Amino acid sequence: MSEKPTVEKYLMNIQEGMFKAYKCVDCGMVIAPPSGTCYGCGSSNMEWTKVSGNGKLVSFTVIHIAPDEFAEEAPYYVAIVELEEGTRVSSRLLGFDPLKPEEVNLGISVRLDYEDGKSGKKYLAFKPA
Amino acid sequence: MPLKKTNIVSAAQTKFGALEGVTLREMFSEAVDKATIHAGIPKKDIQAAFIGSFIPEMLVHQGHTAPLLLDFAGLKGLPATRHEAACASGATALRAAVMAIESGIYDTVLVAGVEKMTSVSTSGATEALAAAADDQFESSIGLTFPGVFGIAAVAHMQKYGTTEEDMARVAVKAHKNASTNPLAQFQKEITLEKAMTPRYIAWPLKLFDCSPISDGAAALVLTSNEKAKQYTDLPVKITGTGQASASMNLCDRTDLTSFSASVEASKSAYSMAGLEAKDMDFAVVHDCFTIAEIIASEDIGFFEPGEGAKAVRDGVTAIDGDKPINPMGGLKAVGHPVGATGVKQAVVAYRELIGDAGPNQVPKHDTGVVHNFGGTGATCVVTVMRRGDA
Repeated sequence: MSEKPTVEKYLMNIQEGMFKAYKCVDCGMVIAPPSGTCYGCGSSNMEWTKVSGNGKLVSFTVIHIAPDEFAEEAPYYVAIVELEEGTRVSSRLLGFDPLKPEEVNLGISVRLDYEDGKSGKKYLAFKPA
Repeated sequence: MPLKKTNIVSAAQTKFGALEGVTLREMFSEAVDKATIHAGIPKKDIQAAFIGSFIPEMLVHQGHTAPLLLDFAGLKGLPATRHEAACASGATALRAAVMAIESGIYDTVLVAGVEKMTSVSTSGATEALAAAADDQFESSIGLTFPGVFGIAAVAHMQKYGTTEEDMARVAVKAHKNASTNPLAQFQKEITLEKAMTPRYIAWPLKLFDCSPISDGAAALVLTSNEKAKQYTDLPVKITGTGQASASMNLCDRTDLTSFSASVEASKSAYSMAGLEAKDMDFAVVHDCFTIAEIIASEDIGFFEPGEGAKAVRDGVTAIDGDKPINPMGGLKAVGHPVGATGVKQAVVAYRELIGDAGPNQVPKHDTGVVHNFGGTGATCVVTVMRRGDA
């Protein structure tokens, strides 16, 4: 995994169902979505890292009124998930009824997954662990 | 050290709303005329223009707007630059103008903000607004602006017990205040029941939690101490300005119940003015969504974190409360033509400070604070103002 990570490849990895995060070569901080500079030590020396796929739900919303591209998918969940490795990502949330958001509890354990959107794109997603 | 030289000597806005048949340059020109010749300030006295506009490229297919707008408004030839920071575009233009006056480069300048949003469809406007979020990492999974604030609302509800009804009360207050503001997009009061109508935009945010799509313009004339008396006996001094940024991505924020750029910009502005939040008589804050007003009221230091909802419930933020917020009706009910908003907020503060707010006048009006933030809260500008004779 010595290849220098790029934003384009990061997005492509998600499309291929093979999510990888950035990792700072100098201090080991795991970063996703990509940053050109480490939030921990300021280094711009990055490499790819696989993640465990375990995380917890930090917050979420249910999008009812969506942009044209996603209109057919609405209503759908968008969540903020904190990975076990410490970094947070925005993702779709699967496994819950979008019309019953009051049944979703923050802090629950979630697991990395993907959603094939009607838009033809694959989204980073999480489901209850 | 407080800023020493900058005075607001006139301030005006157009009506906000769906201004059918009125183009970008016409709205701009109307606001400029109101703030200059109608206020007794000859246009020839203006030495430079600082213009806030978010995304006319997508909304009206027009770039390089500063000279275009000046042409139509009779200010051809002046140095003029457009400032863009999403919904904070207006306040970044104001801040640049303040720095120009304080530096001594100019004596008298124009600050104006403008946006024409109803010339495209609602989905076109939504798409344009989405450009203020991170396209590759967040918009690409279908996160919208109401969604961003829905996420913040869920976090705030979980941590502090804020409720959907608390948010609805912000909307009720906004509509009540706007009902006596003839320049507001919505001039009708709404009941709490109506505000709670379960038409979800991004759960838990409903239709009445969201500011509308609007057209409009606003303008200010700023001048130095030496010149201020030529124009008015009652100038408003800008004594502090602060600006900060935060990560574009919501997921890169450690706390979703507060906007760090708001906290930092407030600290800078208060510190520059030599004042604290408790010294402010009222605030004009960026209530693009009802939860945004609750969080802003905490971030600018009016209330402790988690106490913003209680303040709304108890009427503390009403016009006749101890800490009035958005006494003219806020973005929520007056409208939110994005690039005009930050300038319009300063117009509101000016009118309140000089006692020219009519039925919307706050009782104590020596010092006020204006909070304008952009996009997901990635840019925030806070301005402290004090009436010249206070």
